[in-house]
Amino acid sequence: MRALWARALWANVEEVFREAAARFTLVAYFALSTVFILLFAAAVNLDVVDGALAGAKLFGKEIEMRGGKVEIDKLVLGFEMGFSAVLYLVGTFLAIFATAHLVPRLQEKGTIDLYLSRPIGRVPLLLSRYAGGLLLAAFNVAYLMVSIWLIVGIKTGVWNERFLFGGGIILFAIATLLAFAFLVGVVTSSTAVSIMTSYGLFFMASILTAHEKIAAAMSMDWGASLVHAGYWVLPKTAQLGQAIVVLVSGGTGMHRPPPPVDPWAVYGTTGLFGLLALTWACWLFSRKDF
Amino acid sequence: MASALSVHALEKVFRNGFSRREIRALSGIDFEVAPGEVFGLLGPNGAGKTTTVKILLGLTFPTKGEARILGLSARSPESRRRTGYLPEGHRFPGYLTARQTLSIFGRMAGLSRGEVEQRIPALLSRVRLPEWADVKVKKFSKGMTQRLGLAAALIHKPEVLLLDEPTDGVDPVGRREIRDLLREEAARGTAILLNSHLLSEIELTCDRVTVLRKGSVAATGTIKDLTGASALGVSSQVRYRMVAYGMTPSLVGGIQQLDASIAQTNGHFELSVRDYAHLNQVIDRLRAEGAELRELTPLRSSLEDVFVDLVKTGDLDSPEVKPS
Repeated sequence: MRALWARALWANVEEVFREAAARFTLVAYFALSTVFILLFAAAVNLDVVDGALAGAKLFGKEIEMRGGKVEIDKLVLGFEMGFSAVLYLVGTFLAIFATAHLVPRLQEKGTIDLYLSRPIGRVPLLLSRYAGGLLLAAFNVAYLMVSIWLIVGIKTGVWNERFLFGGGIILFAIATLLAFAFLVGVVTSSTAVSIMTSYGLFFMASILTAHEKIAAAMSMDWGASLVHAGYWVLPKTAQLGQAIVVLVSGGTGMHRPPPPVDPWAVYGTTGLFGLLALTWACWLFSRKDF
Repeated sequence: MASALSVHALEKVFRNGFSRREIRALSGIDFEVAPGEVFGLLGPNGAGKTTTVKILLGLTFPTKGEARILGLSARSPESRRRTGYLPEGHRFPGYLTARQTLSIFGRMAGLSRGEVEQRIPALLSRVRLPEWADVKVKKFSKGMTQRLGLAAALIHKPEVLLLDEPTDGVDPVGRREIRDLLREEAARGTAILLNSHLLSEIELTCDRVTVLRKGSVAATGTIKDLTGASALGVSSQVRYRMVAYGMTPSLVGGIQQLDASIAQTNGHFELSVRDYAHLNQVIDRLRAEGAELRELTPLRSSLEDVFVDLVKTGDLDSPEVKPS
């Protein structure tokens, strides 16, 4: 019985990839990532002498070397910290854009009948779509991270493995936002609404990082409470970006150490939000009349 | 014999929008389909046919009552392990080829890749699409998509087939082939539930039918029972086509005095009598008056007549024909 289910679910994951390939989502997804990688490769020109940086150009512009030479390890660390934060934004936004349609398309009239008439439970069906979407995003994040890491490594001879681990946090953020996109997709059956609300959630949650300041500026107590509650309930998108930088840097920045990250406040609440969103999506999907 | 598919006291009430206004789609319907039987579900738009099929497939949940497939509750995904379904207006992913479509939907039904690959060529031949195996579905005509849908419904050799408008968009030759295919499946023991607006298709294919009206069963029975019942039930008379020589006006008047109805139409007479005894009384009178009877044929209502009668009159208390 388990083998039958595994076949059915794997066929569904495969279908997600075939759909992405056929609708040029996959091509566009990887093409955009490749453009980003090529731009990066072309933009960075480093002149390394005896393990130290004698000269550097970024997008053709000379970088000022304070006191002559800069240790190449530190420069690479700085590069990778900055690019991990950029990749966090690019990777997350591309992933949501490429996968938010999975539920609305599934729920289309004439399509949902074909899927639900197979001997797969509704929850496994939705979760296999989620797994397919996440796998697609994981391939892209891996492609972006490994390519940048290779380019930096080849150009400088410095290989910072922590940069690669940053991909795990990006994927964690994608998993959380994709769960939310699935929830919106189940309720509205609209790809556009799924994408817009997921991006909105990302920015809203980032703004709420300053919840203390926002709440202090509010005249009404209930408003302040709402802001605090929003901060604790919503995923910590800004802090996740910060966590990636901390992870890549190994806890030390070039000029000043980044602030520490509270694991529960960042990963715990974000993970819980994603889990609840996905559970809610599954519950609604399992009760829906088509 | 245990039924392959059964529906008992099935009710469905949809609640619409924020007002939660109730729309009653089904009001306690019952029917059963035996293995090897082709069963037709008839009714005007909004009668509850599609809702019934959707409940049987777990696409929609009943408000009350029970639907079972091969003894399993329709709510259980396992009930669909041996069920094939062809939905109306289905949309297979256009980017897949016929072979890929059958492979993915076959594996979703629990078949291994090997089993699926082995079955695809024969199945595509059976639905007359062998040369289209590696063509993308978006290039298919409506009739071809329909035949592919039938192949996808059959890929896992189901014991129950639920078909919603299976001949929609299919040419007359294709229709006949689909009818033959359904007959073959039924002969193999597959129970088939056919939902169609094409009454002629139902008449040609189905062993029994249920007519739904406003979410209730208006009539159930074999085509013969229903058409016969209509002739009896609607007019309380049995009608005959009669050809006879020597029919004088006085003889016609004499027959009418016997409480029979007789009218001349296109060179023959249409005679309506209460029963066989009444018929024999009329024939005795004819012969006594010297008329020569050449032909006497019972007139049956077509399924369309029955359907229109049942739907138009809306008389849910009209005699229900029990399954024979």
